[in-house]
Amino acid sequence: MNTATPTPTPVADWTQRSRDLAQLLSRSALGDRAAFKQLYDQTSGHLFAVLLRIQRDRNLAEDLLQEVYVSAWRAAGNFDALRAQPLTWLTHIARNKAIDSLRRAQAQPRLESVHHDSDDDDRPGLDQRLVDESPGPAALLERASNARQLGQCMEGLSAQQRQSVALAFFDGLSHAEVAAQLRQPLGTVKSWVRRALATLKGCLERAAQGDAPLGT
Amino acid sequence: MDYGKKDLADALAAQYVAGTLRGAARRRFETLTPSHPALRSAVAGWQARLMPLTTVLADEAPPARTWARIEQRLWPVLATAVADAASTSGLQRWWQDLGLWRFASGLATAAALGLAVLVANPDPQAPPVVIVLQATEAGGPVGVGLATTLVASVSGDGRSLVARPLQPVALATGRVLELWAVPPAGAPRSLGLISAAGATVVRRDKLPKTLLDARNTAALAVSVEPPGGSPTGTPTGPVVFAGKLQL
Repeated sequence: MNTATPTPTPVADWTQRSRDLAQLLSRSALGDRAAFKQLYDQTSGHLFAVLLRIQRDRNLAEDLLQEVYVSAWRAAGNFDALRAQPLTWLTHIARNKAIDSLRRAQAQPRLESVHHDSDDDDRPGLDQRLVDESPGPAALLERASNARQLGQCMEGLSAQQRQSVALAFFDGLSHAEVAAQLRQPLGTVKSWVRRALATLKGCLERAAQGDAPLGT
Repeated sequence: MDYGKKDLADALAAQYVAGTLRGAARRRFETLTPSHPALRSAVAGWQARLMPLTTVLADEAPPARTWARIEQRLWPVLATAVADAASTSGLQRWWQDLGLWRFASGLATAAALGLAVLVANPDPQAPPVVIVLQATEAGGPVGVGLATTLVASVSGDGRSLVARPLQPVALATGRVLELWAVPPAGAPRSLGLISAAGATVVRRDKLPKTLLDARNTAALAVSVEPPGGSPTGTPTGPVVFAGKLQL
């Protein structure tokens, strides 16, 4: 199997925004608070959206946002432009905090998981999720599909694979939660996600090597 | 199925970045990653692949209080310094010392015309305003040395500023220069750190919109600060350059 080393976008191909953010990050690493504030102003809206998608309790998400930037300030010196674009780096920190917060919440004893108690500071139950007005994960994936190569590769997935990946990635659902939501056996969902990610990787690597998917 | 080591690393990294690796397995993976180049590069690859998905999310503006709380957590001294400033408001601060400005402006007027040609003109539409900042008496003992003048050129519309010392400033190790806009009344406002050796372009979004309004800016000043700039939001080190705004 081909496991060529993945290649994040070279700096030369970055957008101006990425370069600006990288500069703000490196100035932050040198202790420049004003640069860090600018970084916050330019990225907090995106990171808050990412956090809220996974951690739907606004107060908890706000706490997480603070933690994200406290971590980012302290770790700014570790940012490596050869490995990641700045927004990717920040988004990863945010997603990790959000996923960890779910893990903490799950470690708390729970009386039941489907109905949403008013005094329950855990994330909303799945029934709430379904009536939520924000775009569903599948709709978000559709939007991504319009945007870039990744979207074209997403189209190569089966509907079930796509839905599983979207629920896991956008909403931070675990395999077990995806399985519950799709009413499928856990093993089936696990293999959907695994195969979806492998297909996606193969497709993106082929695209990067030049024989891009058809249709422009 | 035969999982080669690299394939296993890649599969784990995929589940980690996608968020489906959970619990003890996730913690274990995070502990292992820093010391395993193969894992690190697999994670970087999956981040580059999957994170673009998040760009479709519409931004959600966090509440204004969030930034204040982040500041408080990172630099708790700031909050106490503001409280201190409030309790010592009876004391005269350096920027309220009129003598300083008289001294500076006397020299500045003479120098201003001749220096205008030395600085970049970022806005061809309106003539730039050149502010000459002379070394203060405090500038001598702290090692500012031979540099006697620092020039700040503000574009006619007040939206960009270039600052440069005419000679390199010899600073003690671990000290930086910070530029301040000094209002007729109240505390100076930081315009950011500036180079001790060359030109610094102050970012447009750092400049107050009314920088060139005499009601808002009486002078510019430069202080010596610890790395990263003043920890309190007002100058903490000696003021080594000062120059009055003359319109």
